[in-house]
Amino acid sequence: MQIPAPFDYVRASDVDNALALLERHGPESRLVAGGHSLLPMMKLRLARPEWLIDINGLAELDFMVREGNVFRIGALTRHTTLLESPEVARLFPIVTDAEQVIADPVVRNRGTIGGSLCQADPAEDLSTVCDVLRAEAVIRGPAGERVVAMDEFHRGPYETAVGQNELMSELRFPIRPRSSSAYEKVERRVGDWAVAAAGAAVSLAADGTIEESSVGLTAVGLDGTVAGIGDLLGGRRPDEDLFAEAGRIAAAACEPVADQRGGIDYKRHLADELTRRVLRRACARASEEQEG
Amino acid sequence: MRVQQPAATGLDLERVDGRAKVLGLAPYAYEHPAENPTYLYPVQSTIARGRITAIDTAAAETMDGVVAVLTHLNAPRLADAADKELAVLQSDEVGFRGQFVAAVVADSPEAAREAAARVRVQYHQEPHHAALRADHEDLYKPEQINAGLETDTQAGDPDAALASAAVVVDRTYTTPAEHNNPMEPHTTVAQWEGDRLLVFDSTQAVHNARKTLAPLFDVEVEQIRVVAPHVGGGFGSKGLPHAHVVLTALAAKVTGGRPVKYALTRQQMFFLAGYRTPTIQRLQLGASPDGRISVLTHDVVEQTSAIKEFAEQTAGISRMMYSADHRRTTHRLASLDVPVPSWMRAPGECPGSFGLEVAMDELAEACGIDPIELRVRNEPAIDPETGKPFASRHLLACLREGARRFGWERRNAQPGTVLVDGWRTGIGVAASTYPARRQPANTARIRFTADGFYEVQIGAVDLGTGAWTALTQIAAEALECGPEQVRLQIGDTDLPVATVAGGSSGTASWGSAIIGAAQMFRKEHGGFPSAGDTSEGDGERNPAGKNYALHSFGAQFAEVQVHADTGEIRVSRMLGVYSAGRIINPRTARSQFLGGMTMGIGMALHEQSVMDERFGMIVNHDFADYHVPSNADIRQLEAFWLEEVDEHAGPLGARGIGEIGIVGAAAAVANAAYNATGIRVRDLPLTADKFLT
Repeated sequence: MQIPAPFDYVRASDVDNALALLERHGPESRLVAGGHSLLPMMKLRLARPEWLIDINGLAELDFMVREGNVFRIGALTRHTTLLESPEVARLFPIVTDAEQVIADPVVRNRGTIGGSLCQADPAEDLSTVCDVLRAEAVIRGPAGERVVAMDEFHRGPYETAVGQNELMSELRFPIRPRSSSAYEKVERRVGDWAVAAAGAAVSLAADGTIEESSVGLTAVGLDGTVAGIGDLLGGRRPDEDLFAEAGRIAAAACEPVADQRGGIDYKRHLADELTRRVLRRACARASEEQEG
Repeated sequence: MRVQQPAATGLDLERVDGRAKVLGLAPYAYEHPAENPTYLYPVQSTIARGRITAIDTAAAETMDGVVAVLTHLNAPRLADAADKELAVLQSDEVGFRGQFVAAVVADSPEAAREAAARVRVQYHQEPHHAALRADHEDLYKPEQINAGLETDTQAGDPDAALASAAVVVDRTYTTPAEHNNPMEPHTTVAQWEGDRLLVFDSTQAVHNARKTLAPLFDVEVEQIRVVAPHVGGGFGSKGLPHAHVVLTALAAKVTGGRPVKYALTRQQMFFLAGYRTPTIQRLQLGASPDGRISVLTHDVVEQTSAIKEFAEQTAGISRMMYSADHRRTTHRLASLDVPVPSWMRAPGECPGSFGLEVAMDELAEACGIDPIELRVRNEPAIDPETGKPFASRHLLACLREGARRFGWERRNAQPGTVLVDGWRTGIGVAASTYPARRQPANTARIRFTADGFYEVQIGAVDLGTGAWTALTQIAAEALECGPEQVRLQIGDTDLPVATVAGGSSGTASWGSAIIGAAQMFRKEHGGFPSAGDTSEGDGERNPAGKNYALHSFGAQFAEVQVHADTGEIRVSRMLGVYSAGRIINPRTARSQFLGGMTMGIGMALHEQSVMDERFGMIVNHDFADYHVPSNADIRQLEAFWLEEVDEHAGPLGARGIGEIGIVGAAAAVANAAYNATGIRVRDLPLTADKFLT
């Protein structure tokens, strides 16, 4: 039987209370939301928090709302909620793509977007999604609220800008006209971590050329989005040669490590292939959007 | 021999234990009520080979709730320490990483685990070898291999025949180490009352378990009771008691009579509960241009643990499967500082069929003939190994029936020609076989109760396969009563002696004893018995074994899709047709076949225990990294069987179905992948990167 090390448990009543509890119990306290990363780590004794502060009751963090050109998603929004949202699928099909291949329904019913981002596993899908959508994270702490961009949010594997006495309250996604996005993942079996995955977001100009674009990669040792993609694609018409060139750049940009999910060459090959695919699909979706 | 006419057997009866299981009322080993229990958590070695030089248990011993901390310095002595896998805490020697070196017994599982983490062990480390290589310098020839088979066989002059053969396939195939991973972890609850030991164990054989334990603890078998009414799978890994059973019983000696409960964690199971050895198999097939095999050699290199020998009979299948005048099979072992390998679903036939059946596919291609036709041309008239006739050999019927159902005629003989939406698609076939074993030494007892039921008792075990149901049906048929009139009792050494739920032998072996008891009962008490009337009967050794070769056969068909750009591989369709004698219960039988095929897909695509030889460490020792198929990975699966009764398989006419479903399954997938892509992968598992060249 896998049993965690001893710990104490408390339910937070609201965000301020959660912050106060973090402050009170100090560096060995952890927030628990869906718990699908933290609890297994505790059972395997990879994590030994002394306090768990349960934020599952904080309804104020469970919301999705559009405000002008910003779509706000509360940190406690479950994967299933994102997966089943028609509005998310319309505005950010990359989220729907990704959610379909995150773990299995049981995990998705419980796991949250905030938990995924804050866990910051290098093979985590939503981090890439947020990168390419240029999302912003809202972080609340004793000193109030701050908003950070994704490149500032990520600090490396399992590390983020969220301080020990802070919590992520929401993610904000800019809504751009004539834009769309896509995500693709290769996994060894259904529900597994990615061998490699890629996400892309594009905006088209009125004439059908690419205005803005970004590509991110999962599980292959790339922080943030692939540099140079925006410059390469900007002002050009989407076509296969262009996607191929982007694929080559992405493959060169990543630094995968060999493991039983695949060797370095294979993962680079996937970075290339998946980059082409997601750009192809994002551009096709964006132009449908344009026509529609 | 008179074969019983089917009545209750053949009925599609629901599992008689199904309701209790669904309601959570069927007790597994850990769930039996235990009064004032203690809990065990072990300390495992962190080196692969060497000696313990010091153990500091002070911090653990002073923790609240700790009852005892056992090490080799203070653990009770076993009467027999010859089996080094089972001789736990008897010496300072370390034979593999993950071996038990200490154990904490405490009032709660939490305290036991926490205290175990505080035990400090120092070692004198010695150089170790933990990786299997074909050129390992100290390969040795074991005395015999598993199931008591000969290590090597030879007929004719294989080398000369190979030199003169018109067509030769000479290839090496490898299968990785694989772990059984049943759903229910290995679990033991042990309690001593004076010199009597009560054990609730997750085991495939209650009687064998106590027979193994008795000499270790210097007691008579009658002083030990092992109970296992329900078991959550084993796939062979619970066929023999492993170290945890001994450790738990040993720990129960120091608790003042309190029971000790211990369930292995999933991670511990990767070191302490057996696994399938990796294999390196060289196959040489020499044939005439029309595909008639003149020579077949199968030379196997595999591993065992230095502390205990287990020699998988990997090439055994090549001794009886196809005709060849010249033949050689050999097994050589590397003795390594690794955990002890053991039985895993179809030991021998399972890995051996990967080498043999992929080689057959390669030969078919080299000769330019259809893989099914190749097997037709090499169908032996008698068992090539023993010279005996086969009691029942319907391999060709399985192949033909499978081909018809699967749509084999649509196969494109030219590989790599079907590409739809980026997916290359192909189909492949492999043959399957498993010996029909029936164990003697089974006794059943039948008693008529005051309320009009037949109590049928036998110390058999249902490891999740359906024995509760099948044995109920067999008893009903033999007693000529309805299944609802039978009260079966199994899974307890207080019941008459029975052999292991393994080797696909359970139903036939136990069933024969039940039929024997039923016949005796009717002889002694007639058709209108009185309350308390009791008879016993034994399963006798199958006399047909003297004159016949007894095997089941099957044909595995797979359709595989491989993505042209990413190499992703899926088994989109799989179909098996089996010839296994009489099928007792179609529902549980189909489940067994499909389960075997599913495990075969796992073997083909996913399963691989990765050894970090620097540390002797199996690194992917959990389900996050040791991949088995999820439900969503299994697409269309179908299992069929030939309607038959094997008159040489004993009074039941059944041969056993637990293992044949996995045999050949991985080869069928690999052959289909070749047909899809033109890329021949000879090393399992078939990961995506291998299809991008």
